Amino acid sequence: MSTDSGGGAHGGDESHSASPAPAGPTGIAALLGARGRRPRGGIYAGVRWGGALVFVSVVVALVVSLVWQAAPAFRHSGFSFIFNGTWNPDTEQFGAGVFIIDTLITTGIGLLIVIPVGIATAAALSEFLPRRLAAPLSTCVDLLAAVPSIVVGLWGLLVLVPIFQRDVEPFLQKIPVVKHLFGGGDLGSGILLASVVLAVMMLPTMVALTRTALQGVSVADREAALALGGTHWQVVRRAVIPGARGGIQAAVTLAMGRALGEAIAVALVIGGGVTLPHSLLANGTTLGSAVISFFSEAIGVQRSAVIGLVVVLLVFTALANIGGQLLIRGRSSKGHEAALPDDLITDTEAVPA
Amino acid sequence: MTARPGTATQDPSGLLSPEAMARRRDVVRHASRTTLRRRRLVGNGTRIACYVALIIALIPLVALISYTIERGVHGLSVAFFTQVPVPQGVPGGGIYNAIIGTLIIVGLAAAVAIPVGLAVALFLVDRRGKVAATIRFVADVMSGVPSIAIGVFAYALIVVPSGHYSGITGSFALAVLMLPIIIRADEVAMRTVPEDLWDAALALGARPSRVARSVVLRTALPGIVTGNLLAVARAVGETAPLLFTALGSTVLETNPFQPMDAMPLRILQDGTQADPHLQTVAWATALVLVAFILVLSIGARTFAAYATRHAR
Repeated sequence: MSTDSGGGAHGGDESHSASPAPAGPTGIAALLGARGRRPRGGIYAGVRWGGALVFVSVVVALVVSLVWQAAPAFRHSGFSFIFNGTWNPDTEQFGAGVFIIDTLITTGIGLLIVIPVGIATAAALSEFLPRRLAAPLSTCVDLLAAVPSIVVGLWGLLVLVPIFQRDVEPFLQKIPVVKHLFGGGDLGSGILLASVVLAVMMLPTMVALTRTALQGVSVADREAALALGGTHWQVVRRAVIPGARGGIQAAVTLAMGRALGEAIAVALVIGGGVTLPHSLLANGTTLGSAVISFFSEAIGVQRSAVIGLVVVLLVFTALANIGGQLLIRGRSSKGHEAALPDDLITDTEAVPA
Repeated sequence: MTARPGTATQDPSGLLSPEAMARRRDVVRHASRTTLRRRRLVGNGTRIACYVALIIALIPLVALISYTIERGVHGLSVAFFTQVPVPQGVPGGGIYNAIIGTLIIVGLAAAVAIPVGLAVALFLVDRRGKVAATIRFVADVMSGVPSIAIGVFAYALIVVPSGHYSGITGSFALAVLMLPIIIRADEVAMRTVPEDLWDAALALGARPSRVARSVVLRTALPGIVTGNLLAVARAVGETAPLLFTALGSTVLETNPFQPMDAMPLRILQDGTQADPHLQTVAWATALVLVAFILVLSIGARTFAAYATRHAR
């Protein structure tokens, strides 16, 4: 904890790609070891340790109290809590399987929509559009990221549900081959709509973060690619996007975390079916929306089971988050050498014999 | 570039004959022209695809905002801001209690989360040990915790033992939600303070607390204010943490130990009713909420821009 800045500090600082890598203590401070030395006693030290202690105890309390409250349900159902697909309070069967599947499906479809659209939009804003047009549009997108999920949910419920019911779902059912994915009635609400709402929610965050990452790629990298004879698009494709990979992955991770844990907006538009979905138009229930729907009237083991859903959700989002951070850390340690693949010039080298 | 074997006849001296050279130049010129054409074509195609994606992205976002404005404006009136909700079927009524409730709940949450966040950030910023790395990691993971989980946590921790819902439990949940965001924003802002300033202050013999107050907080203030405003803006719109804590109410309640209404709760309550009048109330509330959040975020940005322009 004193002057030595060992490996432990490294890991923490890299965990957040946006924060600049801190330089070690320099000059006088390094000589004296003043910066790193623990100030002994004093109000200031107390305040800082107190703050850290409060934060850590809140986090510990969160995990412990949720797991504690969910324990009866886990004891009641065992592993079938996760793998069983039947949720029936009357027979005291609590299996979160269907909710987990619905959560993964909605998040997956949402990401399928939002990753290509988000990256392409960010590329258009940061690389292709003239600055005079891109700057106001970017500000708009940044501001839209602050729109609360309840408003998106309200819009989905009152505007998108009728549109889906009247136009989108009958249209999807007419397309050959694909239509088998979209069986069942025209309910409007359902898994597909929930995915779309999630995509709309994720989009501004995704675009804003990706745009920042793209703009962070150094001019030198771009010029190197240009000097090799790349067209504007090739510069973007082979130099800018690979160079911004860490930031883009962070954006996807963040978006995925939000989508996994979103409760209100999804609860408003997914319909609330508790059976395994037979089509993308079927009603469903995600982990988050299940908590919204079941929590209030649940008592006894059922309440504990609902809190168990929260624990499962916590595990999911934590895994997504930690996985994303490890991914970013692994990439960034490889550095920028990989950002310029040599196949940039392979097009021109394909000289016919 | 060395000549490829087999592309031209090579004379023993290692040089190409003039005809072979010309032939080879033609081949290269032709190839580069065709690949350049192809690459330009691909480039233009993808550029257009990016524009299309931009339009696809803007449609729902523009539609969302314009719907909220169009439907919300109908519900706005003076009474909307000064009256409490009326029973279903009775005309009139407003969201005065929800606005006051949101202000109290978020205000209390910010009053707790901002100082604690500042203390933790100060703890993190000049500490390079395992403890700091762990706390930083936990803060990163915590900022991804779903808000519904925080709401259920506050319910289990406070509502169950105390036996009733209350606005202050909602404040607690929002404070927990804001804390990791504030910590990271504050720390990033403090990291922009140059090392030299720390060193200079310490060399003058200032105590760490003095350095923190007069040098670090002073210099990092624009970033800290911006980050905190954005965290507050995030908390204002959250519904899930309030659902099982503040619960909602139809009367004006200023005692934070009682159930309180908040704007997101009012939207959820009224938006899920079939009554078109209540739906209009929900849209109008959404409009007020979005406007409030936009004012906060734009304020944060403007302040940051102003402060960086007028710094030094």
